[in-house]
Amino acid sequence: MSWDGFVEGLRSFVLWSMDVTAVPIIIYFILINTSLLVLIVLAYLEFRAQQRRRSTAVTWQGAGLAPGVSLLVPAYNEEAGIVMAVKSFLTLRYPRHEVVVVDDGSSDETFARLEEAFDLVQVPRELPHEIPIRAKVLGIFVPRDGRTRLVVVRKENSGRSEAINVAINAASEPLVAMIDGDSILEPDGLLHVTRPFADDPTRMVATGGAIRPVNGSRVVSGRIVRVEMPQTWIPRIQLVEYLRAFLLGRTGWSRLGGLILISGAFGLFRRDVVVEVGGLDPDSIGEDFELVMRIHKRLRDEGRDYSIEFVPEPVSWTEVPVTAKVLRNQRRRWHRGLWETLWAYRSMLFRPKYGRIGWLALPYYWLFELFAPLLELFGIIIVPLALALGIVNVPFAILFLVLAYGYAVLVTLSAMVVDEWAFHKHDRWRAIWQTIAASVLENIGYRQATVWWRLEGWWSSLRGKKHVWGVMTRTGFDEDPA
Amino acid sequence: MIIGAALLVGATVVILGACVLLILAVVAVRARRHSRTQRDEMLLSPLRPPLITVASGEDDDGAAAEQLTWATGVSRTVLDRNIVEMLTKIRGVPAEQLVHVLEVHGAVDAAVAQMSSRSTVKRARAAQLLGLARAGHTVPLLVEALGDEAVEVRNSAAYALGLIGDPAAAGPVLAAIGAPERGLPAATAAEALQSMGVGISEVLRDGMADPNARTRMVAAHLSGERSFTRGLPELRGLLDADPDLTVRETSASAIGRLGRSEDVGILVRHTVPSEPLALRRACVIALGDLGEAEAIPALAVLLDDSDPRLAELAATALLSMGPDGRDALAGHENDPAVRSARLLASLQKASA
Repeated sequence: MSWDGFVEGLRSFVLWSMDVTAVPIIIYFILINTSLLVLIVLAYLEFRAQQRRRSTAVTWQGAGLAPGVSLLVPAYNEEAGIVMAVKSFLTLRYPRHEVVVVDDGSSDETFARLEEAFDLVQVPRELPHEIPIRAKVLGIFVPRDGRTRLVVVRKENSGRSEAINVAINAASEPLVAMIDGDSILEPDGLLHVTRPFADDPTRMVATGGAIRPVNGSRVVSGRIVRVEMPQTWIPRIQLVEYLRAFLLGRTGWSRLGGLILISGAFGLFRRDVVVEVGGLDPDSIGEDFELVMRIHKRLRDEGRDYSIEFVPEPVSWTEVPVTAKVLRNQRRRWHRGLWETLWAYRSMLFRPKYGRIGWLALPYYWLFELFAPLLELFGIIIVPLALALGIVNVPFAILFLVLAYGYAVLVTLSAMVVDEWAFHKHDRWRAIWQTIAASVLENIGYRQATVWWRLEGWWSSLRGKKHVWGVMTRTGFDEDPA
Repeated sequence: MIIGAALLVGATVVILGACVLLILAVVAVRARRHSRTQRDEMLLSPLRPPLITVASGEDDDGAAAEQLTWATGVSRTVLDRNIVEMLTKIRGVPAEQLVHVLEVHGAVDAAVAQMSSRSTVKRARAAQLLGLARAGHTVPLLVEALGDEAVEVRNSAAYALGLIGDPAAAGPVLAAIGAPERGLPAATAAEALQSMGVGISEVLRDGMADPNARTRMVAAHLSGERSFTRGLPELRGLLDADPDLTVRETSASAIGRLGRSEDVGILVRHTVPSEPLALRRACVIALGDLGEAEAIPALAVLLDDSDPRLAELAATALLSMGPDGRDALAGHENDPAVRSARLLASLQKASA
């Protein structure tokens, strides 16, 4: 085939593709933007209520109805920060909490550091088998002082989900909080996320807290003493993503009564409910999402009256990837987990007994979370091709791009207004300009790369490829020993 | 195509315009907060020394409090706001002096008037101020506010009633928990009721028969916390037959705190394997708290339970029951549950 013939063929194909997809894509574009607008409005209403509540809040120190909390900390090769993390968890302001660390077969000095710092002694305890465990438990340890509410369980390596399941079996309090060992919790974080349980003790089964990137902030002894912007653009853009996801997405869904995702980095659950549904699925990639879906399904199947809420106050700070390689692995895993969970719970779609979960939340996640990268990739390929082949005129294409990405920036800016109005965590004016810049830069390269990585994750699942957990290289905090 | 382009241009302009507006909103929110903080600081600075004198209890002759009553205009508003904040932390004579300042400023009367304001925030803050000022004469007004359409106002009214501590308000506070569509958060209700003295025991008994599970749970919890033994028959009934597991667990814990030897049987009855595990464990802990020797045989049986946690809780309970309890561990010395309970008890003893 001659070059001209190839170009002509390609031109016909692009024209045909654009003809066929124009109407569906415009409908999709309108639908996704309208749904985002609805979420923004819902989040605004929720924040107005939250702000009213905050400005009229009365002191609550958790006396009386505050349920006890077991903080579950899975640790794998965390020798650098585990002692500091556990100390900061133990000193959180809360009337009754314990810390359960599960050393998931670390090959470094994780356990030795804990043993030395807390003078651990082995307890000849047998763990309950409420959630079945595959890996062998090697030992259970407590501090010699007999007072510090810490339990350390050593087990063979079998992954984060199993480590959390072991921790649930070892936990003794009625609520369990799943947190990462490298997370930093706000001193009053537990008081915030347990409040819905104290207010509605018979119905509340889970709450999720807002998570923020900690990169760049000043951390002393496991506490954030100054919130700063990350030093580089990859984490800065993730900060923008987190603002959007937590301050608009989850707040909006919580308002609507359709919260189906609680982040694995911080989630609080009724222990008996988690045990009843069988704990985390060790074979799931999106184990946090899968657990919440399983809880919804079980409780709705049984017709039980329950509630799952999101608490927008920043509760936990976590280190986000700083390199494209680690980010790629994370996004592949997230999208794969999303697909596998949505597929596993497809039977809940449009079934009356699942209410807003089946009619709103799940269809939204299918359409606008799962399929979004596919459609965006189509646009990324077709638009430049059409431009190169002279099918669309340049000003029209540029206008369309400005509109599409301008809308994305608008959504981010809405989240920024909410953040500044309600939480104002960043003191410096420079942080505002950097966040605005990140919301624009996100659309140039970053967004396209994450589209590709998400599709990679989905594709590898469809091909039945085994997921390999990557290593999240931590750069550590800007720890000031002074 | 021309219409399409015009639409596109229009939509783009709207979106970009909205972006600019949002950026301005971010800047305005921050600038407003900064300027308000600075203004408040400037207005408060001449009043800060007498305020600190009063709050620290050093205003023996009342001169500093008198000076505070002279504040006028915006300074007075800012000062009153600070006094209200301080009243959440201080008690005694300094608190009374600061309340007097508020009364002279007319803040208490204004709060009464604001209880009918259209603004939720004003109604809620007014209710809080009435509580912090211990304005006992406003109890009926605050009780009425327990049925307010806004949860913030209901919360604040309950908080205020707790501060005033009038047991006459206990019934309405407890009843407000289960009000349809306008329920009072259980945590706030519990804290308010905790401050209302011993005169609320009958109200709690009635609350344990309420159709709302949250109300029953709060009533059961407080009966245990405050050791209201008159509520024991109701607690036993809840443990036996309440449809809500949380209520049953709470009742078991309460019985553990204030029960008698005749409660051993009912607690033991709910340690059988057919009961939910969480309830069985709560009952074993309650038996340990009760400390009655009649529980020893039943706890000894539970040392062989298939749930290792339950067995360890039973061992811990027996260890706390003196020589008879420890004797009941004979033959189980090598059980992990008993060894674990013994080790933990010895560690705790060593550190005591």
